[in-house]
Amino acid sequence: MAERIDPNLHRELKTFGAGDLDICYSCGTCTAICPLSDENSSFPRHVIHMAQVGLKERLQKSIEPWMCYYCGDCSDSCPREANPAETMMAARRYLTASYDWTGISKKLYLSGAAEVAAVVLVGVIIGLLFLFLHGPVVTDRVELNTFAPVKWIELGDLIMAAILSFFLLSNALRMMYWFIGKDKDLHVPLSAYILEAKTMLVNFFTQKRWRGCSEDHTRWLKHLLLVSGYLTMLTLVLILLRWFQTDKIYPIYHPQRLLGYYATIVLLYFTVDFMIGRRKKKERIHEFSHASDWMFLVLLFLTALTGIMVNIFRISGLPLATYIIYVIHLMIAVPMLVVEVPFGKWAHLFYRPFALYLVAVKDRAKAMEKARSKKKAVAAA
Amino acid sequence: MTERRIGVFICHCGGNISDYVDVERVRQAVEKEPDVIVSRTVMFACSDASQQEMIDAIKDEKLNGLVVASCSPKLHLYTFRAAAERAGMNQYQYIQVNLREQDSWAHRDDMEKATQKGIRLVRAGIAKARASEALSTFRVETKPSVLVIGAGIAGLRASLALSDMGLSVFLIERESEVGGWTRKWGETFLRDKKGYEYVEKLEKDIKGRENITLFTNAELKEQAGAVGNFDIKVQVKGGDAISLNVGAIVVATGFDSYKPSEGEFGFGSPGVITLPDFKQIVDSSPEGKIEVNGRRVKDIAYIYCVGSRQGDEVENPNTYCSRYCCSATVHTAGLVQRKDERINQFHLFRDMRTYGKAELIYEQAAKHGSVFLRFQDAPEVRSEGEKIVVTVKDELSGGDPFEVAVDLVVLVTGMVPRENSSLVGNLKIPLGKDGFFNEIHPKLRPVETVMNGIFIVGVSQGPKNIAESVASALAGVAKSAALLMKGYVELEPFVAVVNNDKCTWCGACMEACPYSAIRKTVAGSKEVAEVVPALCKGGGACLPECPEDAIDLRGYTDEQIRSMITAMAKEVA
Repeated sequence: MAERIDPNLHRELKTFGAGDLDICYSCGTCTAICPLSDENSSFPRHVIHMAQVGLKERLQKSIEPWMCYYCGDCSDSCPREANPAETMMAARRYLTASYDWTGISKKLYLSGAAEVAAVVLVGVIIGLLFLFLHGPVVTDRVELNTFAPVKWIELGDLIMAAILSFFLLSNALRMMYWFIGKDKDLHVPLSAYILEAKTMLVNFFTQKRWRGCSEDHTRWLKHLLLVSGYLTMLTLVLILLRWFQTDKIYPIYHPQRLLGYYATIVLLYFTVDFMIGRRKKKERIHEFSHASDWMFLVLLFLTALTGIMVNIFRISGLPLATYIIYVIHLMIAVPMLVVEVPFGKWAHLFYRPFALYLVAVKDRAKAMEKARSKKKAVAAA
Repeated sequence: MTERRIGVFICHCGGNISDYVDVERVRQAVEKEPDVIVSRTVMFACSDASQQEMIDAIKDEKLNGLVVASCSPKLHLYTFRAAAERAGMNQYQYIQVNLREQDSWAHRDDMEKATQKGIRLVRAGIAKARASEALSTFRVETKPSVLVIGAGIAGLRASLALSDMGLSVFLIERESEVGGWTRKWGETFLRDKKGYEYVEKLEKDIKGRENITLFTNAELKEQAGAVGNFDIKVQVKGGDAISLNVGAIVVATGFDSYKPSEGEFGFGSPGVITLPDFKQIVDSSPEGKIEVNGRRVKDIAYIYCVGSRQGDEVENPNTYCSRYCCSATVHTAGLVQRKDERINQFHLFRDMRTYGKAELIYEQAAKHGSVFLRFQDAPEVRSEGEKIVVTVKDELSGGDPFEVAVDLVVLVTGMVPRENSSLVGNLKIPLGKDGFFNEIHPKLRPVETVMNGIFIVGVSQGPKNIAESVASALAGVAKSAALLMKGYVELEPFVAVVNNDKCTWCGACMEACPYSAIRKTVAGSKEVAEVVPALCKGGGACLPECPEDAIDLRGYTDEQIRSMITAMAKEVA
């Protein structure tokens, strides 16, 4: 069955920030120069061609956008100056929006105002919850766990994590269905999914594929450090909250404080570094910044900043300031997670390793099938 | 008969000949041939020094026959004729023997036999020279007027340029108005100037010229005579035939647009139209939208190469490329985009040949959202409700089939030869395999035909765009003027001659002549055949037909040919 062309796809992708893909004449220089594309995947050209022609279904099934880490070499060498790297970026946004069955993601991507409104709305709800439900305000000393009892916060944490995980995983399942489920010719045994689990874990924690981008691993290292800080903080506030949110002030060498400081410093340093990069536009990769790119960075920075301020006020023995900044902290952190995790840029943290995992699963299934048919042939002989 | 004194020069061609043919042995074998006074070998016969050596020999030895055994006459016939002429010898008593293409290059594997063949060839050349006569070109007075057939852009422009040179022009047009295809167009590539404005300007200019006579609704009825002096009859619709006398004819009859057969790419069903029809719709559409048959167009698919570059799938395929269509289509796409930028345009093409400066309009079309899909196998067209669905196997996606649903399919139709068989019959100029008129040489003599004084310009000769047609028209003007401005033409003397004593006028020769060069006349008391030298091409078709053996061909007389055969058949010692 021939696939039907969607004539509006290229316009749609442009609203997601695609480069000048109309001008591309499919010479393939981008693919030739790309250090990551190989004989099984001919991006960026393939992705650009799908976008240009209007092969919507194909593009949605494609995993290729996730295999690119945006080094920008393709855009530097494009003879048409069509900026293929930015189109790859737009394709990732488009896919994130396509996976999301609620349609929220698309709305947020296509309108910066909608994204701001969503963040403000969630922030206000958090603020109102604290306004009406906060515990007794002790003013002669800092008692954060009286103002905001850790078990209630932890409960909120878990509810939020459950909801966000539901959205994120259901979206990821759609990605899996399009990539593997729609491939009717292929049977993927359960063992393939289990055996490739390590691919998921390795790529999630190391982003090692990125190292293939260029000789210079600075960007990979910076990103790796940022992720380490982020994951540390996520662990502290989600899993170890009872241990982390204490009224007792531990000595400075205590792991609770050391881990917190490490995560904060990394988050502050690199979000500022990345923001400066996007602002200066010195490098090709920072030439274009979508509203969604800024939103994630700014929220992450503000979360870390308000988080450390809670700590400073707490140690300085300023009860009211601590309580207020704590509320503000959550009014930023929660919307960041709610908006960005399943619907926004945060999702790439999960989608990228998941995509590589799916590719590995598919390859393994194919290899298994081949081995099986070979065996059959041998047996028949 | 005067004593024959023949000089023979055998060329090494720097080894091209002498590496495979023993030229010295050839020389020795022919030096004793009757009437051979001089026989020499030379390294390069065509060099200035060797030519001077020949000239000196002709003068010193009072030669009246010259044989140069070297390369193909295509290369140096005129070189050595000129040398003979400079030495005061009759140039038509020079004979060239092709010892290179016909001997040394063809028989590199066997020097002995190649040398023997060389000896035979040179002997034949000597025999021909011995029987050669002193001939001279003959002059034909020319009329300072030109018939231009077809008043499209090429014919109009040619007429004006001929008029500029002071020649009288008779311009005939079959239709009721001038301008041909160009008159139908609005904006044309590359500069977006309007086609009908070009025509209006040329038409106005022409009407102001006293030495141009325009006949519309007129067709060529009869053509007789020859270069410099053609007798023409023109039939004007509903009027008497008009007789004209012209020195040259410029054929600018243009083309027909390929008409797809019923069902070819869905042709015949609503929403499937040809590029020329669509172009006229676009030209007359208001800003903001394009409508076809009262329906607004939102998506268009262009299918390229319809009726051009056909393969074996059709009978008598048009194998040529029509040249104008890729450029015209991307240009039209640009006009469409300017009228309504929301229209999606899909170009299904085989090869994109927007050559030369038209590459820029391809670039513009690509920039403004036109999508280009290359195919190998022809796309398929079917209707689906209100829409037309085109299936194309996209080459860049490994030939995977995709469907595009559109409101309009535009068949990019090529150019085909004009249907005008009576004109072809009248002018007697040959058609190529493709049905367009055939030129003598595609590069060096692109507007000349085998009929002296008849020139083919514009698309009548082969597909061209407007600019190319006009350039071709002006080439035809230059060739006509070169012929007519001198007042006479000089023609080669290789024509048939009738021996009036032998001729009994049976008419067989007249029947055989493809150029109508033979007519009946009266000589003394009897009817005989007469050859009109200006018309005769020296083809020789009449010779074998004559039961009385009364016709001979100058430069290739029976005597010459017989003596050549005899010389060739003689054993080589």
